[in-house]
Amino acid sequence: MTANAFLSLLQGAGVTLIISLSGIAIGVPLGLVLALVRWRRIPGLSQVAAVYVSLLRSTPAVTLCLLIFFAVPTLGIEIGAWSAGIMTLAFVTAAFNCEVWRAGLLNFPHEQVEAARAFGMTPLLRLRRIIFPQLWRAALPGLVNEATLLIKASPAIAVIGVAEITRAATRIGAQTYEPLPPMLTATGIYVAIILVFVGLQRLTERRYGRGAGA
Amino acid sequence: MAKKPAETSETVLDIRGLTKSFGSNLVLDGVSLTVAKGRTVCVLGPSGSGKSTLLRCVNWLEKPDQGAVYLSGRRIGMREGGSIPMSSSELARERARIGMVFQHFNLWPHLTVIQNLAEAPIHVQKRNRDEVMAEAAALLDRVGLAAKKDDFPSRLSGGQKQRVGIARALAMKPELLLFDEPTSALDPELVGEVVAVMKTLAESGSTMLVVTHEMGFARETADEVVLMDGGRIVESGEPSAFFKKPKTERARQFLQRYVS
Repeated sequence: MTANAFLSLLQGAGVTLIISLSGIAIGVPLGLVLALVRWRRIPGLSQVAAVYVSLLRSTPAVTLCLLIFFAVPTLGIEIGAWSAGIMTLAFVTAAFNCEVWRAGLLNFPHEQVEAARAFGMTPLLRLRRIIFPQLWRAALPGLVNEATLLIKASPAIAVIGVAEITRAATRIGAQTYEPLPPMLTATGIYVAIILVFVGLQRLTERRYGRGAGA
Repeated sequence: MAKKPAETSETVLDIRGLTKSFGSNLVLDGVSLTVAKGRTVCVLGPSGSGKSTLLRCVNWLEKPDQGAVYLSGRRIGMREGGSIPMSSSELARERARIGMVFQHFNLWPHLTVIQNLAEAPIHVQKRNRDEVMAEAAALLDRVGLAAKKDDFPSRLSGGQKQRVGIARALAMKPELLLFDEPTSALDPELVGEVVAVMKTLAESGSTMLVVTHEMGFARETADEVVLMDGGRIVESGEPSAFFKKPKTERARQFLQRYVS
């Protein structure tokens, strides 16, 4: 494998990272909003959120990606491959993140919320000051797990021509007739990315671990 | 035994004809009760008699089906006129006037002891942070926990947690203090320290409504004792009379069972 080939793999890694991180940056808060809508049982919206989660959880990322890439322009909105890719990953991961957040909310000790109500906290203040500071710690392992799955599902967006790691590796393999070296390198890059994520999770847990638990 | 006269006849809490059902189960059946400023009223009764529900209706944690609650003349839970419920922020503002102490303490575990005290005064009442922290430190000193101010609640004993719970309620400078079985979840040897703090409060003129099984506290500290059974008040009066010569058969039965 030439230095040039290696460079294009690294470029692919950059694309994978940017698109995945953008997807996570949108999908994690969107998942929280969906979870809150379901948790507060907001009439109408709650049902919409439930349907959204069921649909998105059962649609393959590749299919969704093609759907967004070809369907959105028919609505008269121009969409590039990158935007479609990011949207795909964000929408899929939001559905799974919703369930992670929701599990945390359902397990949240009711007495603490009751005390917050009795002390005159509005629903928003309760969420911000009492629930969320504890919720994210409880949800972190699930969210990181989902983030790693998302990174591994990101090759799906190669289908609309985004040159992320796996697509770059395939192309090099096709050019050199030696698919093994680029594929092994690609695998190594994925492992490295995931390890960094899990490492960051450990670090965060160690840093904010104290004070938790009644 | 410090019996204090009501300094004024000013009514702080006025509960009028509360009813509440959970499904087909009538938990409150027309309960009326007043607490004058500086007085301590103890609500006694067997479990399931509606005591805790009554307390939770006062600050609208539980919404009564009928009846009204007034705090210093202002209606709680419903807007003026009584037919429109308060919005959640209006209700929050009224709740901040009432301090509450819970059976299971309900401290916030991600905050230190002093942060637990300061949380609502700073973020609900929007008071000055330095002032609130200084007052919170003084309150912790008053309940004998000055040394624990930077600990997390998980490191405290049950009695210490409840004393923090009381200090947290006091930090709001409430017009009324509600106690929901504050010693029921404590090991017997830890009850004394909590009762001692409550006695000091009662004697220093706090207005308190206390649901309790602690007969000693009721006898020695309350200005009035109320016995509930089946969602109604069956007897009320001064503790000396209530414990020595109860008027009703139901009160006699209750005292036989609960007072050794």
